Amino acid sequence: MRKTAEVVSSRLTAKRLGALRFRLAIAMIVSYLAMMAFVIHSARQATQTAVVTSDFSPAMIALASCMAFSIILTGLFVLMRHGD
Amino acid sequence: MMRIPRNCMLLLLATAFTVGADGSAYSAQSAPQIREADLSTIAFFVVFAVLTLLISFWAARRATSSSEYLTAGSSISSGQNGLAIAGDYMSAGAFLGLSGAIYASGLDGMFLAASYLASWPIVLFLVAEPLRRLGKYSFADVLTHKLRERPIRVLAGASTLVIVSFYLVAQMVGAGELISLLFGIGYGPAVIMVGLLMIVFSTLGGMRAATWVQIIKAVLMIGGSAMIATLVMIRFGFNVSDLFKTATSNHPGGNKIMDIRGFAQDAIATLSLGVGILFGTAGLPHILMRFFTVSDERAARVSVFYATCLIGSFFAMLFVIGYGSIALLRGDATYANASGALFGGNNLAPIHLARAVGGSILAGFISAVAFATILAVVSGLLIAGASSAANDLVVGLSGRQLDERMRLRISRIAAMALGVLGILLGLACEGQNVAYLLALATAIAASANFPLLLLAIYWDGLTTRGAVVGGTVGLVSSVVLTAMGPTIWSKVLGLGPAIFPYDSPALFTIPLTLLVCWLVSIAKAEPEEDWRLAQPAVAQYLE
Repeated sequence: MRKTAEVVSSRLTAKRLGALRFRLAIAMIVSYLAMMAFVIHSARQATQTAVVTSDFSPAMIALASCMAFSIILTGLFVLMRHGD
Repeated sequence: MMRIPRNCMLLLLATAFTVGADGSAYSAQSAPQIREADLSTIAFFVVFAVLTLLISFWAARRATSSSEYLTAGSSISSGQNGLAIAGDYMSAGAFLGLSGAIYASGLDGMFLAASYLASWPIVLFLVAEPLRRLGKYSFADVLTHKLRERPIRVLAGASTLVIVSFYLVAQMVGAGELISLLFGIGYGPAVIMVGLLMIVFSTLGGMRAATWVQIIKAVLMIGGSAMIATLVMIRFGFNVSDLFKTATSNHPGGNKIMDIRGFAQDAIATLSLGVGILFGTAGLPHILMRFFTVSDERAARVSVFYATCLIGSFFAMLFVIGYGSIALLRGDATYANASGALFGGNNLAPIHLARAVGGSILAGFISAVAFATILAVVSGLLIAGASSAANDLVVGLSGRQLDERMRLRISRIAAMALGVLGILLGLACEGQNVAYLLALATAIAASANFPLLLLAIYWDGLTTRGAVVGGTVGLVSSVVLTAMGPTIWSKVLGLGPAIFPYDSPALFTIPLTLLVCWLVSIAKAEPEEDWRLAQPAVAQYLE
């Protein structure tokens, strides 16, 4: 009886994680596409109005954010309870 | 509107396909200034060569079974595997190619770095754990849990060997050029030397040796990069603004190097390249093999996290190295000519920078690390190819299972044969631009392997017929469209304007493969006896 309950619980965890995997993957893809759209847009804008900066540019910040997001998402997923 | 020269775009695209590879991004424009190999370079090189051989002899004593030879007995810890995975990405192609791309055109190189890093969460969320749970030697093990074994193994074996061969040739050519330039020897001896070391190393030591060399190399690469980046920042008093000011004033592009330029020209081409990188990593056989070397799913998960952190840190250091090269090397007649091109090619930027900030000992160390990188990545490739040849191609074609001894013997013979093939093709392709082979490999991985893995793990409606037809369509379409793209059709073959306008076809071929798999699968269901879905290991991953 107890074993059956454990199996059901483990399968429920697996199903929940399966759905979560897809959501997280989609979140990563969307953030990557958003970064790409932003850097392309900002580059096209910048050709018309010359950027005068000696610090991090918006494109650099967008790239760094995307990279940091990749690491944070990975870390959060690893820290979650997986039931294995 | 500013136009990006076509050569510049091609450089960036070549760099895009050489991250995760070795040395192929390297442009060997030899110059007398760097022809003479330093004593320190040779000394570090000898130390690394002896060290790697010792590791392979140590690992050879343990490699008495196929699981030990091909997957290190699944006894690699998550930390070690994280370092080894990171090592696969901290290749000479990434180190030299991305730094060189930043030196040439600024931030575009970092766009590629961000794309490669973003591919790792996709690997983690979608394929890492199922691979560990369901697979043993190759990703085809996962597919055959629910599909008929023979046709799937033949297809998976063919795509793996094509990918591995393309990577191998490109890397041997890059390695030959890089080693001949760094150590002042001829191209032929350089290819033969790297090839022989690689064969001895892979045939004897197997995955354990490849993993340990990858770990040592990753630590050295991170240490070396951190040292160069720190020395650069010391020059600028740890003031990033000063670094950027000097870089923008030195570079003819001025403030434009602070923005993405080349990749902003054609949004569809950039999107297709990005999609290829994002999903291609999850289909590369030598990357997927790494998940069979750890003991369980938790270790697979944690190793991806370690790898992502390490790769992220490495790319951050490359950012400093790239802009540091612009600030310190451009305009210095010791390293660059009047037009700003570095002696030996722009991809030598980190080695020249190491010399500029740390002297010849640091430069020698970095050169030798680049050599160790080549050896480590190429050995990993040979193991992946050997594993697929023994477990997929031979089993698929013969229709019978192999015992331990036979599998080990075939794996070793396949590793040796692939190594010899790599040497011969490397010698035959001297002076050729073979970066497009890596474009093909990435496109096949993203278009044929990844969709099959995804559907096999998460969709119970996939049939063997659907997988075989879809996978074949993905493989053929990615090869044909890449061949009809601007790089191969126009530049390499010289057949005039390209028929297909983009270098990376992944944006079109991934949906095409998924669609064909789905259509063929729903058009005719498999006979019930073909299904082996009852296995709880598979069912766990199904929605």
